[in-house]
Amino acid sequence: MSDPSSMNGGSAVAMVGKDCIAIACDLRLGNQSLGISNNFEKIFQFGDKTFLGLTGLATDVTTLSETFRFKNNLYKLREERQIEPQTLANLVSSTLYEKRFGPYFVGPIVAGLDSKTSKSFICGFDLIGCIDFAKDFIVSGTATDQLYGMCESLYEPNLEPEDLFETISQALLNAVDRDALSGWGAVVYVVTKDKVVKRTLRTRQD
Amino acid sequence: MNTIANKFTHANSSSVLNEINAVQSEFASGHQLELAPSIQVPPISQPTDFLRAHTDDASNPDCKIKIAHGTTTLAFRFKEGIVVAVDSRATAGNWIASQTVNKVIRINPFLLGTMAGGAADCQYWETWLGTQCRLHELREKERISVAAASKILGNLVYEYKGMGLSMGTMVCGYTKKEGPTIYYVDSDGTRLKGDIFCVGSGQTFAYGVLDSEYKWDLTVEEALYLGKRSILAATHRDAYSGGSINLYHVTETGWVYHGNHNVGDIFWDIKEKEQSFNNVDG
Amino acid sequence: MDIILGIKVQDGTIIATSKAATRGISVLKDSDDKTRVLNPHNLVAYTGESGDTVQFAEYVQANVQLYTMRENDIELSPKATASFVRNQLATSIRSRKPYQVNVLIAGYDTKTDTPTLNWIDYLGTQVELPYGAHGYAGFYATSLLDKHYRKDMKVEQGLELLQLCLKELETRMPIDFKGVYIKVVDKDGIKALN
Repeated sequence: MSDPSSMNGGSAVAMVGKDCIAIACDLRLGNQSLGISNNFEKIFQFGDKTFLGLTGLATDVTTLSETFRFKNNLYKLREERQIEPQTLANLVSSTLYEKRFGPYFVGPIVAGLDSKTSKSFICGFDLIGCIDFAKDFIVSGTATDQLYGMCESLYEPNLEPEDLFETISQALLNAVDRDALSGWGAVVYVVTKDKVVKRTLRTRQD
Repeated sequence: MNTIANKFTHANSSSVLNEINAVQSEFASGHQLELAPSIQVPPISQPTDFLRAHTDDASNPDCKIKIAHGTTTLAFRFKEGIVVAVDSRATAGNWIASQTVNKVIRINPFLLGTMAGGAADCQYWETWLGTQCRLHELREKERISVAAASKILGNLVYEYKGMGLSMGTMVCGYTKKEGPTIYYVDSDGTRLKGDIFCVGSGQTFAYGVLDSEYKWDLTVEEALYLGKRSILAATHRDAYSGGSINLYHVTETGWVYHGNHNVGDIFWDIKEKEQSFNNVDG
Repeated sequence: MDIILGIKVQDGTIIATSKAATRGISVLKDSDDKTRVLNPHNLVAYTGESGDTVQFAEYVQANVQLYTMRENDIELSPKATASFVRNQLATSIRSRKPYQVNVLIAGYDTKTDTPTLNWIDYLGTQVELPYGAHGYAGFYATSLLDKHYRKDMKVEQGLELLQLCLKELETRMPIDFKGVYIKVVDKDGIKALN
């Protein structure tokens, strides 16, 4: 009941396509059964093509997104360049492990394209920073089980950006429709070599 | 000696004797038919504690057996009868087990029962209530009153009080002598007659809309819309309510079904038409 | 069982807080004001563990005022105020003795002429909302607000809507909360009604 990682609800998913990636999340923020906000985005952009998805306890989602905004700004000042997805993944990992004995109750996912090679990168983490590298997709949040089911059946490699958008959207939508604590709207980012497209999905509102 | 042996030997007992014995013991114990199942109790010292430990996800979130929960149901009386509206979501923990549950049980053409709490408990006992009502009709050559029907259910659940039954139900019907009548019956044994009831995890949200708009002189169309709108409000805010809305109107000629309305569709229609739900974009 | 309700309208933000201060089975006071003025355009309304609430609200109040004294009479914006309060609660939740306080912050940004309502719970969960409530009040009032709230409402209509919510709370809540104090934050600052 008062399990921190499922108090507020919310889910996120990332997928790899052909020279592109997509990352999506729902918009619900609740207090157990009561829906509070339908505008709580769980994906944050760092650099041009690097994205971080954070699900779990909402206070920690906010705290961590602010922490990474701060760390990313310092990184940009010091390095005079944008952060790479790989680098962000390691930053997330070490930041989470710093709190090994009093963790943040989150399930982060990182997705992006390398700024030089445009190679796709996605990964997920447990709450204390163990990185889970994946070639196909990563899921996180209260609809994790449902998302695995959807992704395992819908996903195919080397999808074009438009098809990847369709696949990730259907995966997320149908997964959150089977989770009481996720839904209430969704956003999808599709990232290709030369542009980032953000779309808001119209979803069921129950 | 023989009597004891007979007691434990099936072959020795004649079928006629059996039937007579069965009928006699039925009258004695008040049970109706051998065909009707009886409720078994686990053979341990505290069956209630056992059940609670393994099925009550409120007191033990890690329990392995999750009974379907979470609901919004309502019924209200007005000039033209009764409106009954319910959602259709069943959840087991945070898992949405179904979006197409039928939470109105048609006890008979004049009586409806709503379902909140344990899905199986409500389904089983309200169907059982249907048989009791039919038996009453056959015996008394008269339709059962809503008061009597609800009392049969009320007394039944009270017998099982403390055993873990979980139900919050409204018995709704129309009889000549009572007019449109709603009884709220729950597994604590509470039985209340009233004009407006909302039951389930989304009850407060439904009450909010219903109370603010309710009048005795509502037209049938207005009343049906209000019932639907109140459940919609609940499905929106309550995580454990949703799916679709089932609508009924109870009149003196029996209940009339007014369709199944998918929340995914009607939400946007109603938002557009009412210019409401301004917290939602799009 | 305290009631804390907030509605943001086009020209201001309305806050209603129940007057009853209850301990155990007794109502100790029927004129308890559960708000504190942080600065001329920011009002915090609080609910939660008795003792913690006032301590926390006054701590925040002192710090927001200290900021203004230090920074050349610059008023902290609603966004900055909410951020500060959230940060305090988010830090506190991982301390030895966390503040168990939920707040609503009604603010009016004088630079951009926009009213705001920030919902923050004791964990440090923060969201900006058009209307919100803490505790049981949310379960009764939100469905009404979902139905009747309009984006172009003015304070006057907002107060009518608030009355509708309060009527519902009075009929359905199992205890008497002894009425509410209503306050409005707008471009002219904070004023108390009734």
